[in-house]
Amino acid sequence: MNTIKLQKTLPQVFAQQPDIQSDIWLQELAFEKGRLYLVEASSGTGKSSLCSYLYGHRSDYLGTIMFDDRDIRTFSISEWTRLRQQNLSLLWQELRLFPELTAWENVEIKNRLTKYKKKKEIASWFEELGIADKLHTKVGLMSFGQQQRVALMRALCQPFDLLMADEPISHLDDNNAQQMSDLMLQEVQRQGAALIVTSIGKHISIHYDQILHL
Amino acid sequence: MIWKLLRQHISPLQLLGFFLANLLGVFVVLLAMQFYNDVRPIFSQNDGFISNDYIILSKRISTTGLTASTFSDKEIEELASQPFARNVGAFTASQYQVSCSMGIQGMATFGTQMYFESVPDQFVDTHSQEWHYEPGNQFVPIILPRNYLAIYNFGFAQSRSLPRLSEGLVSTLELMLVLRGQGKEQRMKGRVVGFTTRLNTILAPQSFIDWSNAEFAPQADTSPTRLILEVGNTADERIVKFAQSHGYDVDDDRLQAGKATYVLKIVSGIVMAVGLLITLLSFFILMLSIYLLVQKNTRKLQTLLLLGYSPARVSLPYQLLTVGINVLVLLLALALLWWLRGHYMKMLWSMFPTMPSGSYLPTIILGVALCLLVSVLNIIALRRKILGIWKG
Repeated sequence: MNTIKLQKTLPQVFAQQPDIQSDIWLQELAFEKGRLYLVEASSGTGKSSLCSYLYGHRSDYLGTIMFDDRDIRTFSISEWTRLRQQNLSLLWQELRLFPELTAWENVEIKNRLTKYKKKKEIASWFEELGIADKLHTKVGLMSFGQQQRVALMRALCQPFDLLMADEPISHLDDNNAQQMSDLMLQEVQRQGAALIVTSIGKHISIHYDQILHL
Repeated sequence: MIWKLLRQHISPLQLLGFFLANLLGVFVVLLAMQFYNDVRPIFSQNDGFISNDYIILSKRISTTGLTASTFSDKEIEELASQPFARNVGAFTASQYQVSCSMGIQGMATFGTQMYFESVPDQFVDTHSQEWHYEPGNQFVPIILPRNYLAIYNFGFAQSRSLPRLSEGLVSTLELMLVLRGQGKEQRMKGRVVGFTTRLNTILAPQSFIDWSNAEFAPQADTSPTRLILEVGNTADERIVKFAQSHGYDVDDDRLQAGKATYVLKIVSGIVMAVGLLITLLSFFILMLSIYLLVQKNTRKLQTLLLLGYSPARVSLPYQLLTVGINVLVLLLALALLWWLRGHYMKMLWSMFPTMPSGSYLPTIILGVALCLLVSVLNIIALRRKILGIWKG
């Protein structure tokens, strides 16, 4: 998958609003592989909705979203399953970790599905992100900032053409945020993928190819 | 790891409840089936042989004696069309006077009034070469019931100090017959050519009766009063039901087995229905329990799907759980059955030492079928539930 096109896309809930000023909604827009995008928005403008639409989780929108030349509404369950294993990765704002599993298991549950990363590599990420001591701690007992890092590692345990990070560093200090964005960027560039980062203010300081306002 | 995640909220108590209820249900169903199979041979010991059985039907004689005692063509047709009937034949009686005297070498020693009856030749169980008659012949072959000879030998001859007669000796006796009717009289010769245990009457060939009735009693009504019925299995309870509903008498107490089989079938059927009901209820317990489990784990299941796990993969642990329980139930039910059967077979064998042992196979097939059915329903229900989560 190389291009994602949005054609006059708009969340259904916004359909009644008269004048929508947005770089994304109701526009003709394309996300290209290999480019980095920042989507800036204030709360309630549909940033998480955008991620959910692109991830096939929700489809309550008007207009069309195309992956290359196919309307994503036509994808079957098995196609979405394959896309989520091989083409799309999403770092949720609410993380969606399993609190009853350890940090390691939370990452492993994805890696076991994709068999993409070696255990050694994952262990080195834990070192890099400074939570090596939490490897076998249940995620439910960790701080939100620590959980954000676990969720990132899980999101990186797969091949992808597009990585979406929905407010990835909202609870991190600058130092940790920097380490996290380094890791993320390193993996995105290695895979030649597109990156969409959403933010309501604080965002990873990297050189974006395009900054869009929702 | 998925299992570690999904087994949360499993209620062992609910599963145990299902397990026991299902075990009871399946066990009762299988027991009823096995018991039926084991006991049935007692009633229908002829079942295994290819030989057919014959039953003789007549109309019940009412106390007033006014109802028709003959069978109409329609009634015969109805009987012939029954699934248990292979063949139906009518008894035809002689409608004229017959007197018979017997003697050795032309010397008449004993005379009596008598009658003949005939049935179609294929119902006659004595295969004598002399058993045929063509109009114009002076010789009439006769078949006697074996028990007539027994009555004479052990009842009459014994008390009167008369010689006993063997079948061979009786066959050498020459009978002189006089047929009278329509103002005509004809003398003929007859001889006993065989003995029968099947037909309780004095038999002459069908062709002889047809000819003689036309000759000596052309106007007489020859509607049969008795029918002979060839059936595959006298223990078939449908015969009893049919005879009872039509007011027919059956001369043979072999049909008691049919009644017993019928009762056995009803009782087994009721027990089996109760077992199935229990199984059905336990199936609902399991489904409710699993639905509750899925409900409690909805968020986790949804996350797994979002991570790229397929619905099939996510449903698999629960499907394996239910199928595993079902299989365990089946095995345990069969083991219990095997144990209990050992006990009741001992009792049955002490009562019926020659009883053939019924097969386990139908029971096992039924058990496996039941297990498969319940498992498939479980699998489908779970899959639909998980797909429901996918759709949100």
